[in-house]
Amino acid sequence: MDEAGMIAGWAAPGYQTATAGEEGFRQLYEATSRPLWGYLYHASGRADVADDLLQETYCRFLARRAPAMDGAQVKSYLFRIATNLLHDRFHSRDEKAGQEPGECGVERDEDARLDVQAAMRQLKPRERELLWLAYVEGMSHTEIAAATGLSALSIRMLLYRARRKAAQILRPPETRA
Amino acid sequence: MKQMGCEHENRVLRAMRSGQWTAELRRHASGCADCSEAMRVAMALQAEARRSEMQCHPPHPDWILERSRQLAREAAVRRMSRLLKAMRILAAIYAMAAGVWLVHGFAALSYREIASSLHGPSSHFALLGAIVTAAFVSAGLWPILREDSKRHGFGSGR
Repeated sequence: MDEAGMIAGWAAPGYQTATAGEEGFRQLYEATSRPLWGYLYHASGRADVADDLLQETYCRFLARRAPAMDGAQVKSYLFRIATNLLHDRFHSRDEKAGQEPGECGVERDEDARLDVQAAMRQLKPRERELLWLAYVEGMSHTEIAAATGLSALSIRMLLYRARRKAAQILRPPETRA
Repeated sequence: MKQMGCEHENRVLRAMRSGQWTAELRRHASGCADCSEAMRVAMALQAEARRSEMQCHPPHPDWILERSRQLAREAAVRRMSRLLKAMRILAAIYAMAAGVWLVHGFAALSYREIASSLHGPSSHFALLGAIVTAAFVSAGLWPILREDSKRHGFGSGR
């Protein structure tokens, strides 16, 4: 079953019974936990934070899940919870996201990886979130708006600026202006 | 107002993800600076996503389900504790008010007035109501106060 099928399975009416709900959750989790972890890791810059927030996201999802959501809405909802948790974390602990990347078992032996990680570190948390949702998760502006709580109109502008900034940083040194 | 990006950017990114390119779109992407830049950023991020996915070891879903149940139980206990606390406060207020009323009300009356008021069916009902109320309040307060005294170690010497 593909990712969309698994998420749709969870969102189907059958999830209401306990057993069907648990099985549906397992499928949803298999389909979404890795992309969600990747988002949390790159937005926060820390693997331990991503681990914590991943668990917290699913616990909140199970506790609060609103009925009658389709597959895309479920995915958006998960990313929305994760984004809110990230913001809470930044605010409550006054953490500078991404100050200590690579401290949690991140391999450092790949130049490309380092380039991207270095670029991500230079971006603001909000810019990282938008870039990841748009270019890795392939979300539309409307879906990003739903996931981040920003207005769909401002997404276009913010994403454009973030992309320009990321492209400037990722450009090889000899071609930089 | 300066245009932000290319209008075909989303189509280009979708084609990049799905691999379904049209000749026209491919031509456009190769000649458009905005689309090329978007593709470059998207490719770098997607490669990073694939690399980092190998580092991801999410916990087993059953563990998440169990933790979620545990959190739900804790939340239910917190809710019930708040309710019990409110009931305890209300019961204490009622008991105090009843005590004050009894002391002041009956102290102001002479024995003869009390005796004269206690006749007929209405006084019997009033007395019966007061006794039943007092019994219920006592029955409700007794286990709560006993639990409190146990928790705080009253009389245990600790």
